[in-house]
Parts: sequence; structure tokens; C-alpha cells
Amino acid sequence: MSTLKIENLHVEVGEKEILKGLNLEIHTGEVHAIMGPNGNGKSTLLSTIMGHPKYKVTNGKITLDGQDVLTMSVDERARAGLFLGMQYPQEIPGITNSDFLRAAINAKREEPISLFKFIRMLDKNIEELGMNENLAHRYLNEGFSGGEKKRNEILQMKLLQPRFALLDEIDSGLDVDALRIVAGAINSMRSDDFGCVMVSHYERMFELVQPTHVHVLVQGQIVMSGGYELIEKIDQEGYEWVKELGYEIEQNERQPIILEACGKKGQ
Amino acid sequence: MISEQLLTKIKPFIDLQQPQSYYLILSSKTAFQMQLPQDVFYQEGILTFKNKQPVTFYMIYDGQEDLHIEMHFQSYSQVDLIEVKQLEVNCQLHKTMYLEEGATVHVFSENMSKSAQSYEDVYLKSYATCQYGYSELSDDAFEGIYHFYLDGEEASVKVRTAILAKDRESKHYEILIQHNQPMTHGQMDNYGVVKDEGKLVIDGIGTITKGQHGSASHQTNKIMMFDASCQASANPYLYIDDYDVQASHAAAVGKMDEEHLYYLQSRGLSKKQAMQLITYGYLMPVVEVIDNEMMKKHFEQSLSKVGA
Repeated sequence: MSTLKIENLHVEVGEKEILKGLNLEIHTGEVHAIMGPNGNGKSTLLSTIMGHPKYKVTNGKITLDGQDVLTMSVDERARAGLFLGMQYPQEIPGITNSDFLRAAINAKREEPISLFKFIRMLDKNIEELGMNENLAHRYLNEGFSGGEKKRNEILQMKLLQPRFALLDEIDSGLDVDALRIVAGAINSMRSDDFGCVMVSHYERMFELVQPTHVHVLVQGQIVMSGGYELIEKIDQEGYEWVKELGYEIEQNERQPIILEACGKKGQ
Repeated sequence: MISEQLLTKIKPFIDLQQPQSYYLILSSKTAFQMQLPQDVFYQEGILTFKNKQPVTFYMIYDGQEDLHIEMHFQSYSQVDLIEVKQLEVNCQLHKTMYLEEGATVHVFSENMSKSAQSYEDVYLKSYATCQYGYSELSDDAFEGIYHFYLDGEEASVKVRTAILAKDRESKHYEILIQHNQPMTHGQMDNYGVVKDEGKLVIDGIGTITKGQHGSASHQTNKIMMFDASCQASANPYLYIDDYDVQASHAAAVGKMDEEHLYYLQSRGLSKKQAMQLITYGYLMPVVEVIDNEMMKKHFEQSLSKVGA
């Protein structure tokens, strides 16, 4: 059994503190759901675990089976068995999906995977995820629909077989059928050697992938942990009740969107 | 005679010993070696393609002195041309290509020159099509002036360049597509990588002269800089003298996208591997003008000198 342990984690973006002493312990074999209003630190938590350079850890610890994750580079974290299914996967022109996937698989192996084995593995997973066959030859996420990008994240998770998957709103952009397929793929990964942290706003996702633990993240801290009943409560009542626990709910600052044109005025 | 050194250089991707290898090796005005297919002729600096069947042809410029060549592609000829430029210091290549009506010419051009210049003019008649991929990864300064003239209706040209300027090399490229007839189509995508105090200037020029309605001129110029000691400039110019046309340009000079790097690293690729893969994706599409596996493999290997 592996353990991912987060202790008293404080994280800043720019000058602003987002996570304020967060504690969480996840073991393989478990699926943890993290819910909470927008702008309270859910994505920050997952991105910090993965090592996004934008997030600065000012205090606290993250360990994977006792190893200090915070001193590892992003790729070392990935090779140690962490995987982040991103909310907004990057589009990278010129690199075909299959070239990228093969490079990613080989990054974890001593001997490179044989082309034949790779293609068989890729085809099988593409079919299981109901993805378009030509996806392998298209450039990485370029021109993919929102749903295709999310399925591509799950495809990568399946091929890379991480110990812990962190899935950031993996259900957004998915239609009902795609949601079922993606949920099926996550469930198929469940084993004593696989742990998962899922961020989602929707009960539907957690109906399909039943979490073992549920946490509510508000103001950069986990304010309550429990079981599936918490998801039902949030689905029915929203987050207003959190205020009764003495926490203010932080809302995203609303800023006007500035549109800039490169053409001349009136054109 | 072709130098041993050049033979060794081109061996990985061009095997001139094969009976089906057709080539012209030009060393000076009078020194040349060739093996020509039926209906292809060379005389006094003029290479003429009259072939009815598609042909793949190797053109090697082994320039010890200035070289001049004209190429004529007869109506509806189809040619895949693989060029290798190996010009010595201060040598100039002057090349003019004429594509007659409906000719289809795809060119992949590999530059292995020393500090030299190449002046190239390509003229296209009606319905002629030209796709040109310039692989400019040579290990010295270079100046390339590549001009395309669309002189017949529905003529079209697509240019893609992949340029590397490194180790204080100074490179300058001017790519012009000029529309001299209506309903002509031009597109250029110029991609450069600059590192280790390299200097690169790309001028992309799209010109649509008056009366050339229904024409389209598009261009993208992008340069990726690996460090602050480089100098780079991507300059798009559009000169449009007609209303009923489509035209667009994009230019960008900057460092590698941090989010792209993070994404690839989050899948286990080291920073170096991620940088190599991004650079590969950036420059690799240049080989797509020609369907030639050996060429692709060779280009992939050449990319290792980008080194990331």
C-alpha cells in the first residue's frame, strides 16, 4: 500500500495565500472526492502536488511513501507515480498524440516499449474509451473538443498506470455517454495499487465513481470530511451551511473581461 | 567530381548508387555529374523536366564557386525534388524555376552550406502547384532570398521553413510570395529556433497586385528563443492592392511556452526531453512536403543538433 500525505500545506500564488494549512492522507485503494465552491483552492491543491511552477509552497509537507515530493521536479513526481488529469489540457502543435504517448510511456521504463506492443496497447485503450481512431495521428490536443481532451487525459492515465491519479474536473465538457465511459475507465483502474483524488462539482460523477472519502475544501482548508452523504448534502443544499461552521466562503473576484482587437476600430 | 566528404554527408538519406536514383550534381559551371530519367534533360545550365510520369529527382549543389541553374517544368509534369545545398564560404547559388501550366512540384531542400547565399526565384503559370520545404539547419551563417511569383490563375504555392540559428550564426531569410494573377493562393509558414547567441531575421512578404481578385495570401512567422543572448526578428509584410482578397499574417518571437513544458513533464518527460519534443514538433512539419521516409528519418536525426 502506498500513501500520499499532505501536512499543513500553505500555498501562495503571487502574493495571495490560497491553501492555508491543508491536511490530507490518501492510500492506494481509496478514491477521495474533493468538493468546494469555486476559487477556494481545489485546483491549487492538485497542481501543487504535481509541481506547477506557479504555485509556491510556503509551509508544510507532501510525501509519497515517506519521500519528500516537494523537492522532486515535475517529471520526477510523474515517474514516482503521480498523475494529474488536467482541467485545461495544453494543445501542443507538431507533436502527434502517439509520439507523445510513446515518449511518456518510455520515460517510465528502462527499455523502450516495442512499437508493436505500444500500438496494440494504444488501439485497445482508444477503443475502450470510444475515441476517434485517427486521434493517434493528430497533434496533441490540437483542435480537440473539450470532451476529446478529457478523454485523452484518461487515455494517458490508463497508459501510464500511476499510483495516484489527481483528476481535476475531469467530467467537465463530457456528455452523458462520454461521462459513463470515462467513469468506467476510472473504475477499471481501481485496485489496491491505485489511489485517486477527484475534484468535481457534480454528484453525477460521484454516482458513477463512488468515492471512499469525501472532503469539503473551503478557504484553503478541508473543513469537513465524511462519506457519500456529504455529496448528497451539497447537491441539495449547496455550500451555505458551511458558514455555520464558522467559515466564510471565498468567491472568485469578478473582473470585467477586456476584449482587445488587433484590427482597426470599426473593422 | 563530387567530393568524398559530400558523398559521406548525403549517404544517410540519398543513395546515388541505386539504379533508380536520378540526380544532377552541380559543382561549377562546367563540372557536373548526372543520371537522368527519360524525358529529363540538362544542357548548359538548364534542367528541363518533360516527364509524363511522376519522378523523384535529387539535385545537389556542391558549390566550390557561384552556381547558376534554371529549371523548367513542362505542363502537367509531376516532380518530387530533393535538394541538397552544400555551398562553400561566400559562394552564391542563383536558381530560377519555371512551372508551366498544371505542373506539380514538391521540393524538400536541405541546406548544409557554409557561410553563403542563395537567390531563388520560382515562377508559376496557371494551375501550377508548388510545395516547398526548406530545412535550414546548416552550421554557419546564411542568407536565403526565396521569391515566388504566381503568374497564372489558380496557381498556388505553399512554403514551409524550419530554421536553426545557433553558436553566433547569423541567418537571414526573405520569403516573398507575389500574386500577379487573380485566384492565386499563397501560404508560408516560417519557423525558427535560435540559441547560444544565434541571430535570425525572417522577412515574410505577401504581395497582391491590383486586379488579382479572389487571391489569398497567408503567412505565419514564429521564432522560438532558447536564451536571452539570442537576437531574433520575425517581420511579416502584406502589400495588398485589391479589395476582393483574403490575407492574414501572424508573427511571434518568444521563449518556449512554460505551460507546454509543464504538461509534458507532468507525464514523466524530463525537461530536456520535453524541450526536444516541442522543438521537434515545431520544426518537423517541414518534411511533410515530400512523402519520403529516409528523408524524414534524416531530418529527425539532424534535429538532434538543436540539442534543446
